[in-house]
Amino acid sequence: MAGSGSTPQPPTQASAVRPGSGVRLATLALLATALVGLWQAWGLERWALDGPGPGLWPMIVASVCVGLAVIVLIWPGRDGATEDGDTETIDAAELGRTRSTFGLYCLALVVLAIGSAFAGFVLTAFAVSILLVRFAEGRSWLSALIYGAAASVIGLVCFAWLLRVDLPTGPIERAFLSLVR
Amino acid sequence: MEALLNGFAIVLTAENLLYCFIGAFLGTVVGILPGLGPLTTIAILLPITFKMDVTSAIIMLSGIYYGVAYGGTVTSVLMRIPGEASSVVTCLDGYEMARKGRAGSALFIAGVGSFVAGTLGVIAISFLSPPLAKMVLAFGPSEYAMMMLAGLSMVTYMSGGSLPRALLMAAFGLLLGTIGLDPMTMTPRLTFDILTLADGVNLVPLAIGLFGLSEVLFMARKEESELKILAPPKGLAGFLPTAEEARRSVGPVGRGTVLGFLVGLLPGGGAVIASFLSYAVERKLSKNPEEFGKGAVEGLAGPEAANNAGTTGAFVPLLCMGIPANAITALLLGAFMIHGVAPGPQILERSPEVFWGVVASMYIGNIMLLVLNLPLIGLFVKILDIPRAYLTPMILLVCLIGVYSNSGNPADVVVAVVFGFVGYFLRRHGFDLGIVILAYVLGPIFERSVRQALSISDGDPMIFLHSKLSIGFALAAAIILIAGLWPKRTAAPKG
Repeated sequence: MAGSGSTPQPPTQASAVRPGSGVRLATLALLATALVGLWQAWGLERWALDGPGPGLWPMIVASVCVGLAVIVLIWPGRDGATEDGDTETIDAAELGRTRSTFGLYCLALVVLAIGSAFAGFVLTAFAVSILLVRFAEGRSWLSALIYGAAASVIGLVCFAWLLRVDLPTGPIERAFLSLVR
Repeated sequence: MEALLNGFAIVLTAENLLYCFIGAFLGTVVGILPGLGPLTTIAILLPITFKMDVTSAIIMLSGIYYGVAYGGTVTSVLMRIPGEASSVVTCLDGYEMARKGRAGSALFIAGVGSFVAGTLGVIAISFLSPPLAKMVLAFGPSEYAMMMLAGLSMVTYMSGGSLPRALLMAAFGLLLGTIGLDPMTMTPRLTFDILTLADGVNLVPLAIGLFGLSEVLFMARKEESELKILAPPKGLAGFLPTAEEARRSVGPVGRGTVLGFLVGLLPGGGAVIASFLSYAVERKLSKNPEEFGKGAVEGLAGPEAANNAGTTGAFVPLLCMGIPANAITALLLGAFMIHGVAPGPQILERSPEVFWGVVASMYIGNIMLLVLNLPLIGLFVKILDIPRAYLTPMILLVCLIGVYSNSGNPADVVVAVVFGFVGYFLRRHGFDLGIVILAYVLGPIFERSVRQALSISDGDPMIFLHSKLSIGFALAAAIILIAGLWPKRTAAPKG
């Protein structure tokens, strides 16, 4: 796990819960992605009349990716140094305590993606704010409502109107911008 | 020297100073605010410059370009949201410094480091442009391809973790870069017949997802007490780095400047490679490499200097050869041409006032950026006082605006969210995400170089070893990879 060197170390609380299985799971996911890439690249032309075709590079890269994923599956090795601090702080106890909060944050990300496609910025910002401030973080309804309204209005007025930044558009944005422009 | 002094005479007029200030100010604001990238801002302002004097126009547009580099640092340090690919490295240690109550110090070091690197880079441009331009011309497709290979090998080797895992991340980044239409034949690749994927995976949703959104998920997994960011010291003195921090920054800034400038000369993502290489070099040289990723001053100072020196270095191929290093300098090239100035080897003879005026404006612009930003550090770090309940929705909405406004495509938000989960999952298991971004950015240049070289040689791979330069890069890559696989001796415990 994080922070370990190349030599075996006593298992930490976290590593006792997941002894390297996470790395292998992540590597398996990467292997599956690379195999899908290889399958897609296989159907492309690798060499055309005038030189390398569109499939050559994806084929090389996907093959290298598959090979490396297999090597990592066999020999997971040490964690990357640049993310050391992040991996070390998670253990089983925390995982249980914060599971519902984490679930709500995941839900907020999903709302962000769906909302920006169908509901526009104002409704999405409001929904995400309520979800996080009220439900995930347990603040009062009043603060959640004020925060959601403020975030929506600032986004709409400052960014969409004054700075003319493209924001996800829904019925509220369309109505507002048709009034002010 | 006389030409440079003439350049200063051109810039030090009230009108040009004002344009320089507007450019630097707008650049900083654009770098901090989500949604308005430098490309959009320059594109919006380009028509306004049509009636301006050519030198004034380029001074203002250039100011935006290098001002953005500093503005992006603020969001990287305070919120772990990289404004651009070259700011990704700043997130790693800058953000951790902020969490330890050293946000002011981090921004100060970044500001001064950027200033030093930018200024030294300008001095280098002033005196070395003509010979450097000739040197860059020695790079053909095969040299480029081998240099990309050596660069990626170096970064993966120096990432500090297992080499196969780092290489896997690099390969994953390269694979992501192949999604979309083939740039040469326009054939859809790895798109699964999904129209949205024809444009490929954009850098902004990828970087924001892997870094900004995954950080929000990490914050959600922790108790609020653990997330408590140490309050920065009060008063101006509290925002200054300690003597120890200042001492530790000097070497990285110097090395980052040289590295950044040299790598920045090369068209295509020079500043990005430079910042990653600088991080890797500093980590390797450090007596305490275990501090990297946990708030090491060297991990911030070196890449920041390299990033800014790289941005400055990118002006050499633009001004001396008319070759844009990236999309932004391509737009600046367009601005030159609209104003009837053709950048290239003859610019020094045909339009010396433009060349030296722009170079002199960079000196002034860097001073303006420093003066503009240092007093604002206190204001910026106030963001860290915001409790998680209010900070995380803000980060999410900033990410949403940043991603959506980049393309106006809701699918990009979906991509960012997907990479937020992917980034969280990979980070949790100790994979380096920075390498993914680097490989993704370099992938198209790498591919183009490989394909051009193979086209020239009619498929003979020996073209990659046809010149001393490409053999040198290939050897460097091989040595680095072998060294990475060599069993390492464990350092003796301290004390």
